[in-house]
Amino acid sequence: MNNHQTATRHDCRLLVGTSGYSYAEWVEAGFYPAFTQSGKMLPLYAKVFPITELNYTWYQMPRAEAVERMRRNAPDHFLFAAKLTRTLTHEIDPREWQHQAESFRDGISPFIQAQQLAALLIQLPPGFDRTAANRRYLAALLDALQGLPLAVEFRHVSWVHDQVFAELERRRVTLVAVDEPELPGLFPPLDVVTNPDFFYIRFHGRNQKGWRSGNMQKKFDYDYSDAELHHWVEQKIVKMAGQSRTGIIFFNNHVAAQAPKNAETMINLLRREGFQVNILV
Amino acid sequence: MKHIFEHHMHNERKIIHLNVADFAVAVERVCDIRLRQRPVVIAAAGSARAVVYDMSDEAYQNGVRKDMPIKRAQRLCRDAVILPPHPDRYKRAMQTLCKQVLPYAPLLEVVDDNGHLFMDVTGTHRLFGPAPDIGWRVGKEVRRSMNLAPIWTVAPNKLVAKVASRLVKPMGEYIVAAGEEASFLAPRPITLLPGLERVDILHLWDFNITKTGEMAALSLEQLAVPFGKKALHLYELARGIDSSPVQPQSATPPAVRFSHTFTDDTNEVRRVAGVVYWLAEQAGIALRDQRLAARRLTIFLHYTDGVHVVRQATTKRATANDFQLFDLARIALKRAWTRRVRLRHIHLLCDRLTFPPAQLELFPAVRHAREKREKTVTAIDLIRQRFGRESIKTGRRLAA
Repeated sequence: MNNHQTATRHDCRLLVGTSGYSYAEWVEAGFYPAFTQSGKMLPLYAKVFPITELNYTWYQMPRAEAVERMRRNAPDHFLFAAKLTRTLTHEIDPREWQHQAESFRDGISPFIQAQQLAALLIQLPPGFDRTAANRRYLAALLDALQGLPLAVEFRHVSWVHDQVFAELERRRVTLVAVDEPELPGLFPPLDVVTNPDFFYIRFHGRNQKGWRSGNMQKKFDYDYSDAELHHWVEQKIVKMAGQSRTGIIFFNNHVAAQAPKNAETMINLLRREGFQVNILV
Repeated sequence: MKHIFEHHMHNERKIIHLNVADFAVAVERVCDIRLRQRPVVIAAAGSARAVVYDMSDEAYQNGVRKDMPIKRAQRLCRDAVILPPHPDRYKRAMQTLCKQVLPYAPLLEVVDDNGHLFMDVTGTHRLFGPAPDIGWRVGKEVRRSMNLAPIWTVAPNKLVAKVASRLVKPMGEYIVAAGEEASFLAPRPITLLPGLERVDILHLWDFNITKTGEMAALSLEQLAVPFGKKALHLYELARGIDSSPVQPQSATPPAVRFSHTFTDDTNEVRRVAGVVYWLAEQAGIALRDQRLAARRLTIFLHYTDGVHVVRQATTKRATANDFQLFDLARIALKRAWTRRVRLRHIHLLCDRLTFPPAQLELFPAVRHAREKREKTVTAIDLIRQRFGRESIKTGRRLAA
């Protein structure tokens, strides 16, 4: 991967946003004005961030008509990262998944046609470890989604392996870097870049107590300190930016609108380091 | 328009509609997994003129519909397994479903024992997270514990959540954000809209209106010309406006209800009167068991051609007496039964329940007649308690 390190931080365009934008509690927290309806949130969000990660596509297979409606709700330059539907990652039916992959492609086609799809996030569950069967499934899934800007997020530590990184690099698939609590079995925070097109970081928060509570409100309740974010910039992002043309950074600690707050802090820190942040070309 | 404006000013609601499609069939398939491999039709046995109570999706795809004569259903779907309905089984399954859902929803509305329920999860995000996550979790829990696969949809109101469920049936999920109601509904056929009567659909088709968006293009004034008083209802329906609350179980007005489906559709007066008497008698027994009395009685008639008619009769003095309930039922029946078409199903409901009145009648003759009726009913109850419900019957019942 060293062959990509010739680029400088000025060559890498960074895009910072949040995982999801439609949260009732962001109205309560003041990120959105009072009485903002969820259907009206995207245009307001797009005034602050140029990119978002769609979580709803994990719960629900995207449908082209709804995706097109959403796309029209945001400016033309706005970018979307879509999370792959759960029936392809967490609740896989061996007889159905290929049909599901086709449906997903069809569903997000308005983003592709409008060149507004920044990435397709394949988040694998914690129990998805590096067995032969899982390796085969992942390879088949990546084949089925070939041609899309893919980013794979592992949750299980067994995937920390040079062969895995080399295979992702060969396929030009991005390994997602994660910040999450330091708990046994979890995938560690790495700065490995496997795709010169883009790197992808997700900040989940470090709520150790809430992580395995089964309750999202506890799991993603965390407020990053400036020092923690600064450490990421200095220790990892600077290096990763030297190996990719684009860097996508999302904050998933949505509880009490901590995600947009931390994202704005991150933007300021990166700008201070001389990066081009949230400038769309 | 004031109420429409107010509707938009309120904090948005998060309503989840949970629906186990073809509930009766789904429950039967849990009881007997062999049924999963074949189309299933549920219909009362014992008569060639029995009608379809519920059917599996495979049978539906073959053209089988609810209330269709079983003979026709069998012709359309020759390999279907025909099962008799088990209402008690569906009721128990529904109770279990509610138990699964209750921890997530402060407000829960059970529409009927047919696998539909609405959850109002507004304001629960701090406890349980976003509404789609609740929908997914509940669905997963129901699948795990009951082996049923519910549809779940999230929307700002019951109307839109229901349409979304109909759209993804027999399985799936759909999320509609507040503010997107009208654009979500616009491309849908008007036949998907709940609460739109057949006569209204035919009327809209006359105007070449088949999509909800086409209906929404009409102003309230324009709708008022052909639809009169219904115009506001249609206007709101087309735009996905629905402020009706999720009615918790405890808020559902108490009522007793009984129904009868004729194995052979009939318009024979004596037979219908006998059935209505039997229904009134069942209602009277249920009311007396609960130490309650009713002030209103409703008769629902389902004609053989699919037309439904509902009529009521009320009394100032609440009653649990079989004879008085039958008098009310006869009034309601007379109001409802105005066509010569045969009847398929009769449903009787007693509500506006109260504790039985204690004050005495003012006039001795009236009091005497009432006391006599009450004594008769008390005697009948005593005989039944001792020798069983079928030990004593009235002449009217024998005619049924």
